[in-house]
Amino acid sequence: MADWKGTIDVSHGMSDDHKPGVAERLQRREEERLATVRRRREEQDGLDDKVQESLQSFLEILKFERLSLEKSLAESSTLERSKLIDHFDSLSLRVQKLQRNVSESALFLPPYELKTAQNVIVLLQSKIQETRDQLLPKKKFTFSKKQNKNGSGFDSKHTKDVEKNLDLAISKSASTKSDDDLVVEFAACKFVDRTSETLQKNANEINQKDIALVNLSNCTVLLYGAPSAIHINKLNRCTIFCGPVPGSIFIRECIECTFVLACQQLRIHSTTNSEFYIHVTSKAIIEDCNKVKFAPYNWKYETLEEDYTATGLSKQRNNWDKVDDFNWLATGVHSPNWSVIPSPDRVTSWKI
Amino acid sequence: MGLLTILKKMKQKEKEVRILMLGLDNAGKTTILKKFNGEDIDTISPTLGFNIKTLEHRGFKLNIWDVGGQKSLRSYWRNYFESTDALIWVVDSADRMRLSDCKKELHALLVEERLAGATLLVFANKQDLPGSLTAPEIREALDLNSIKTHHWLIQDCSAVTGENLLNGMDWVVNDIASRIFTMD
Repeated sequence: MADWKGTIDVSHGMSDDHKPGVAERLQRREEERLATVRRRREEQDGLDDKVQESLQSFLEILKFERLSLEKSLAESSTLERSKLIDHFDSLSLRVQKLQRNVSESALFLPPYELKTAQNVIVLLQSKIQETRDQLLPKKKFTFSKKQNKNGSGFDSKHTKDVEKNLDLAISKSASTKSDDDLVVEFAACKFVDRTSETLQKNANEINQKDIALVNLSNCTVLLYGAPSAIHINKLNRCTIFCGPVPGSIFIRECIECTFVLACQQLRIHSTTNSEFYIHVTSKAIIEDCNKVKFAPYNWKYETLEEDYTATGLSKQRNNWDKVDDFNWLATGVHSPNWSVIPSPDRVTSWKI
Repeated sequence: MGLLTILKKMKQKEKEVRILMLGLDNAGKTTILKKFNGEDIDTISPTLGFNIKTLEHRGFKLNIWDVGGQKSLRSYWRNYFESTDALIWVVDSADRMRLSDCKKELHALLVEERLAGATLLVFANKQDLPGSLTAPEIREALDLNSIKTHHWLIQDCSAVTGENLLNGMDWVVNDIASRIFTMD
């Protein structure tokens, strides 16, 4: 530094009289520069300190909260049952707050601390849930019918209302009903548990409604109209006809059935040995199916054209032979689970 | 201005959130996504794989992942969990037969560590069908009241008519914003 200053002194030696302050100015500038560097370094240190401080306080808060939560949790068993729900709710809320604190601090936490903090929270959550399950066993959710439905003094309209008003009371006792019973009780438009019958519904009964067909065997179902959606479950040796559906048709667990359907979406699950004469504007899909065969839709009834117009289902677009098999994702090789019915083998006119 | 504030401000500028949309097959996930994005919904096929859409909504950049709900695809759901800000669970409100399935799958997701802290919106979809269950009925059926680990809301909606889709999305965005971004 001294050499450098000396050089300047020498080179400007001749003009010292005119510019007496050069060396001093340079000296001053150098000091300023050093001061700036020093200030910057201090600022940097300050920031590091701040991060260090936040980290310290974060870890302290985390530790404190963890201990106090664990303590409250341990006290749970001594509380009255009626107060338990509120107690657990408040505990969960505190963990949630802690979680929020962690995600807010995630920006300055070193990866290890973040991981530790998250572990602590997960552990606390599972501990709370565990204790909660122990002390407050979960009630089972079931649908239950109003018990006085069969009692006297009920006119048919009232009974209908009761049926319509879904009774969703949580009850422990009525857990014996299977899922299918939900449909039996509640779906507005349905055929359930029928054998060897011809079942029919007309446009005014089904248009723009959703329909359920469940547990039928050896039945023929004729739906002369355009429902919005259809759920089909557990059919055996049935033949189903339906007009255009602007929404989706969902088929599960059917065996040896024939379906003649027009719709926007068709999903077929766990169905075997069945034939589908379909009009699908998107693409049909099959999953866990075997020996299902496809042909184009060919049912005709009086108001078919009107129903097509009313539903807006495109008559031109029919992807009946583009079937996606969710169990056969190989491209280039045809799925062994489905096939097209060769023209000569197709039914051309339905005897109803 | 502390470092934290600066970093928050930076994050705030991006305002990018990741939303994962799941539910049983036939629930209407893709239809909701397309309707929300103003696309044609008449040609939607069942999702084989997934769809991603990035849309701008109220100044936020929403990355919405819509993953197929077929049984054979559900085991792949977990591949999409990472850094999810919100989970949208879509329910076919007219599918009474599979409500217990629906409940089981939802509750299995909620214990996932990587979804901890994510906002949960349940769309009770297909309210346009006369036989559909209402939002309170779906809430009971899915036992939503037992959820203490996530902020949640159930919203009845119809993807076909577009009814209430915006309400639901607004809630999701607000909830994420209050959690991650400092609101001005």
